[in-house]
Amino acid sequence: MPTATTAGHRYYELWDPMPDDVREGARRFATVQALNELVGVLQYVEWLDRAPSHTRRQMLMAKIQDEVGHGHVVARVAEDLGMPREQILVDYLEGRLKIHNIFHYSFQTWEELGPGLLLTNSAAIQQFQSLAKGVYLPYSRALRKVEREESFHYQHALDLTHEILTHGDATQRRRVQQGFELWLPRILAYLGPPDTDTLHGNRMWQVGMKPDGNDAVRQAWLTKIIPVFRKLGVHVDPSLVSQAPSGEWQFAQPDWAATKKIIANGGPSSQRRLDYVRRVLDRNAGYRRALRGVA
Amino acid sequence: MPKVPTDDPNIYEVFAQSGQSTGLNHVGSLVSPRPEFAWHLAKETYGRRDDLVNLWVTRRADLIVSEPADRGLLAAKTRMPHRQPGFPTARRRDRSSAPVASADPQADRAVADDPAGHRRPDDEATTARRDLGAARGPELSDLWLALADDLFVLGNRLGAHITDYIDLEEALAVGSIGQEAVAHAGTILLLCGFDQAAVDAWFFDRRHEQWQVSRALERVLDWPSLVAGGLLIAAAVTVLADETLGLEPGAAHLPPIAAIRQEQQVHLEHWRRLAQALTTWPETAAEFGLVHARVTEYGGDLFGAVPQGIASGALPTGPAPVAQLHERLAALIEQDGVPTSRLPASPQQRAVGRGGSALAESLNRGRSVRDGYAAGVFR
Ligand SMILES: [Fe+2]
Repeated sequence: MPTATTAGHRYYELWDPMPDDVREGARRFATVQALNELVGVLQYVEWLDRAPSHTRRQMLMAKIQDEVGHGHVVARVAEDLGMPREQILVDYLEGRLKIHNIFHYSFQTWEELGPGLLLTNSAAIQQFQSLAKGVYLPYSRALRKVEREESFHYQHALDLTHEILTHGDATQRRRVQQGFELWLPRILAYLGPPDTDTLHGNRMWQVGMKPDGNDAVRQAWLTKIIPVFRKLGVHVDPSLVSQAPSGEWQFAQPDWAATKKIIANGGPSSQRRLDYVRRVLDRNAGYRRALRGVA
Repeated sequence: MPKVPTDDPNIYEVFAQSGQSTGLNHVGSLVSPRPEFAWHLAKETYGRRDDLVNLWVTRRADLIVSEPADRGLLAAKTRMPHRQPGFPTARRRDRSSAPVASADPQADRAVADDPAGHRRPDDEATTARRDLGAARGPELSDLWLALADDLFVLGNRLGAHITDYIDLEEALAVGSIGQEAVAHAGTILLLCGFDQAAVDAWFFDRRHEQWQVSRALERVLDWPSLVAGGLLIAAAVTVLADETLGLEPGAAHLPPIAAIRQEQQVHLEHWRRLAQALTTWPETAAEFGLVHARVTEYGGDLFGAVPQGIASGALPTGPAPVAQLHERLAALIEQDGVPTSRLPASPQQRAVGRGGSALAESLNRGRSVRDGYAAGVFR
């Protein structure tokens, strides 16, 4: 018996009998998300010791801690479904799991950080709000906790961007503009290939794990975030993204072949991320055993 | 301190959920002579009226519960306001209502250099007062200022180690300890009469040669040395907080010091548990012993601050009882149960401007973004 039934879907707790596709899907979603939280955070860690004021450093450290916290809550969901947390990072190192395209890059300047984070956070919020409607309740609860923290990250990113646009000089403000233009196509790609025509054939949609298609999430995200950038004073060039009279957003299709290569550890920081994870796992293995008291 | 509330195995706590959109709520307790009765008794006791979707029962003896004294530690919103979504928003609002900063970087520098508005760490008067103070020995505020350097450096190291992935729960604890250490460093300066801009100038514009970081933190770069260093700094802050709290009971500066003490006590206990684990685990015992010996050997300077001639602000004045504080630190370290302490018998003076090239490099990195901007841009 499922725990509850609404709108044609059944909702499941961990110990409810459930279709294999739901269990498998939930494990895969939680596993992939855990990996991306745990590795994606390294992008921000690289900037922690350059955060330029006491409060900034506190806020960035809070964000880093939260991201690892997101990794933790979804890793717990995955563990309960049979995916041990160590295995997630090992599978990444051994090529069985991949991180999203956006985490294969590093921020080149402090000014790029604000718009990059703002785009990433808002897209993640949009996606989590959608996935939280899914039928596996422990994952939905984890996502709601994550979402609440993402709203702090969103405000933090807005603040970072606003600070430079208001108080920075012309060069610094221009780098914010460039950061926006650099990251927008990456996030468009991050939200996945067009699926309007294929969504209903997607098994995860059928079992209620993927409530919305990539296009719906992408459109909803653009509707929210583009006005935010305009209000900040960032120029949104129509060649990047523009809104049709119907309200639909149009944009240059990401280069999906190139995106695929990046995801296959072919991005500028792919090797650096792998090296970092391998290094911390190796050097801390003994301490981890001491902490757990298990050889 | 959190505790197990009972050893009576027959008492059960009951949690019920009445709709999918609400969480489980604690609804009461019951006594069941046998575990296999407990859930059924709970259903009869607490589930007679509502349509429940979930009913959970657990032994009270299996719980670990907070006590009223833990409430301060649980008040996360109050303790760490910078983690709230409203915090950056309020920052922007406050700032836009403040006078508009000049677009000319030189003019901004002039504002920042105004001694009336900002305390600066490197003016001549300070140097003169430092020489005067050196002859007299450090005051309590000197000891606090030096520990603020330690806390700032340690907090930042911990921040970088959140992603060291010893384990995920441990990573989160390290994140909190790091943020609190950095927060405490700032609070100490505020207590010494700094404003927020001066706090930033102190931690970001001061040259490496002016820092007084304890030698104990010189090579705190891996996990065992972080545990040993964290343990030592938390112990030192606890000792100095106790001393300060005992001097002028009821004074206005005491609540922030008491809050620092309470959080550092938690840090101390956290590091103690880890030090115990590393000491008793055969695979790590020898290495941790060596690291702990080195860190404690260098920790003799924790109360050996060189006076800086900074007014004590809200903190009590008068010479600090350095030797006694050092003794109390040694006594506290004894309680760690780690057999390798090599804390010197008497206090050593801190070396100003040392701290190794790793420290210099990290302080320089800390300035790299800031130096490209006009003064006053970053808050
Ligand atoms: Fe996250």
